[in-house]
Amino acid sequence: MQPVYLDHAASSPLRPEARAAVLPFLEGEYGNPSSRHPLGARAAEAIARARETLAQALLVEPRQVTFTSGGTEAANLAVLGLARATRARGRHVLVGATEHSCVRACAAELAREGFEVELVPLDAHGEVDLAAFAARVRPDTALLAQMLVNNETGVIAPLARMAKLARARAASVRIAVDAVQAFGKLDCALCELGADALFLSAHKLGGPKGAGALALAPGVSCTPVLHGGGQEHGLRPGTENVAAIVGFGVAARLAQQQRPQWMTHVRRLRARLLERLTGLPGVRVVESASGAQEPGILALMLPGAPAEVRVHHLAQRGVFVSAGAACQSHARELSPALRAIGLDDESIRCLLRLSVNLSTTLEDIERAAQALLEVSRELERAAS
Amino acid sequence: MSFESVSGAPEAVLVRYGELMLKGANRLDFENTLARNVRLALEPIVPVRLQREHARLLVFPQGRMEAVLQRLQQVFGISSVSPVWGAPCESEAIVECARRVLEDALLAIAPGETRRFRVLSRRADKRFPLGSMELDRLVAARIVQASHPLRIDLDRPELVLGIEVRENRAWLYARREAGPGGLPVGTLGRALCLVSGGIDSPVAAWMAMKRGCEVVFVTFHSPPYIGENAVHKVMDLVRVLGRWQRSARLYVVPFAPVQEALCDAGAESYRTILYRRMMQRIATHIAGLERAGALVTGESLGQVASQTMENLACIEQAAGLPVLRPLICFDKQETIALASRIGTYELSSVQTPDCCSLFLPRHPVLRGSIATCEEIEARLDVDQLVRAALANTQPHNLGHTARLRKVST
Repeated sequence: MQPVYLDHAASSPLRPEARAAVLPFLEGEYGNPSSRHPLGARAAEAIARARETLAQALLVEPRQVTFTSGGTEAANLAVLGLARATRARGRHVLVGATEHSCVRACAAELAREGFEVELVPLDAHGEVDLAAFAARVRPDTALLAQMLVNNETGVIAPLARMAKLARARAASVRIAVDAVQAFGKLDCALCELGADALFLSAHKLGGPKGAGALALAPGVSCTPVLHGGGQEHGLRPGTENVAAIVGFGVAARLAQQQRPQWMTHVRRLRARLLERLTGLPGVRVVESASGAQEPGILALMLPGAPAEVRVHHLAQRGVFVSAGAACQSHARELSPALRAIGLDDESIRCLLRLSVNLSTTLEDIERAAQALLEVSRELERAAS
Repeated sequence: MSFESVSGAPEAVLVRYGELMLKGANRLDFENTLARNVRLALEPIVPVRLQREHARLLVFPQGRMEAVLQRLQQVFGISSVSPVWGAPCESEAIVECARRVLEDALLAIAPGETRRFRVLSRRADKRFPLGSMELDRLVAARIVQASHPLRIDLDRPELVLGIEVRENRAWLYARREAGPGGLPVGTLGRALCLVSGGIDSPVAAWMAMKRGCEVVFVTFHSPPYIGENAVHKVMDLVRVLGRWQRSARLYVVPFAPVQEALCDAGAESYRTILYRRMMQRIATHIAGLERAGALVTGESLGQVASQTMENLACIEQAAGLPVLRPLICFDKQETIALASRIGTYELSSVQTPDCCSLFLPRHPVLRGSIATCEEIEARLDVDQLVRAALANTQPHNLGHTARLRKVST
């Protein structure tokens, strides 16, 4: 029996259309996009098409889209590049309290370079406290880095309002948005979010691993992090990963087209799963109190056994989920983002993350619910 | 799906158009064209719903408010746009709605700052029981509180809360963005613009669009003397200009054979004028194919040797259609400022050679005579050169959809 894969927030399987588009560039289409002969020109043309797709979805000009090796590199370019480019106008940086580790690590790097880094304040529900946030913005605030959809809980940040508040208080502030979990689910047009920069990862939306993108709003300057041969308008030198970029373009086009269906389908899946789990003792869902919730990510607190034990038990039954964010598991420390939203260590240890996409069926949800109930009973028996 | 719309975002964009009102019997035609242009301009962003009101257009942007506002500022014929909140035509509901509008506007005001403020209402529906000024006073009295950073100032307001009371609904706004003005593209027919990679001709094309012309483009290219990148540059310029109208069509005319023939004919000092006369002839033919009623050029009096009054007369004499020269009395700096605003300056300022820089005369004639031009041309088979150039002309559709062509024919 096929496993039930409920870890799409970690990585989503390659879409067949993306796979088909990628293959020629792993075979006969091996030209370097910088070469002037037809092989090179075709590679360059393929990248240009992917760039147009992303530009169209994000409502920017194609030349404002820069391809990178993935979400982490795009985040580095956005956070470090924007802050360094605005250094003269301010040294204060605000970073979302629940950012992905790559953004937090970049903020730490900025602190070493002499920037003053503070966190975006949260309210009692673990969501952005707009009034406290507004008070924390200063005239010398150079950068706000905030994720749109949290990767561990699916909570959506009120970005457009944050951007308005920030700009009224810091004229030269740059706003960098992590849209890695948001693309294909919410509208990621930069102008609607009030973003100066926004970054994405291909493999979260059914593209191949090894491609990401940074989009900049008009007139926003960004200092490159890598130095080399001038590719990607000089912002990201190095020969382009043509195959991955082509797959990214196709996946992004489909994700954008399927956005309405995605929302309807995934809401139904979430409702069904929650309905089936009401019988679990002590179960609690970590989600937005105000309804600003991306429904495809479900953070379940199941007291009793550590989440990691549950992950292994579920895997034995063919149900694949995460204990917190998959990228966090290397660190072996508890998620600072979950701490920031007010969870104690015990709660964080027993937090499971289930994430779905359009290909997940109600039957998958049924099997997952069944497995969760069985594992809970089993762990309870073992404990007593 | 925008989750922020739950928190009371504006529901529509109110589009105002100015000059169309003056056009009497043609108004319906103008309004139809504007509505169609708006729909086409917004198509790549979001499929919008339009609602026609008396002298207004309402656009429902389905969550993409900022993008729609920005795009509408590139649609000629629009004088201004405002994001609007709707309320039933009833004073209590209007006050309630005004609170929401203000809440949004206040987000952009830093603590400690104040704004001079007033309410300004208009009643299109005279059945509404309160007069405009009464409504102004009522709303202002109910929403402005001591804690607000707003100070009533009727004469010099910085923040205006507008209310338009219409038949079925009142529309409220606090933000008003200027549109590009002008007339809807297409209402004044079609023109063919002779475009190079330079700064001037794209601006000239834009100005013709602004006055209601749909502009088709022609460029002259001289391979193998000039590289393909020169054509790509013109294509990029045409794409940028295409956003201001509903199409982006470019004819690329191979011009080297004409230039070689003119060089062989001698009379070096007349070369540039003669190139231009040939361009007018070829363009006139293409204009015929496109049913364009005029040619547009970026010429400006005295800017270069070929643009003296006498030389312009020599050039124009070869054209079979009226030649519109929107920049004729512009200084270079004025043109550059406009090019920056349109978005063509950055592209135009990349240096690439163009066909006019080939075989340049060392001492170009400043006061050319038509008789001399005709005398030199008599040594050539002008018609044959024109026919050959037309036979090898390549049309390109650079618009984003094939539908554009259908609409314009």
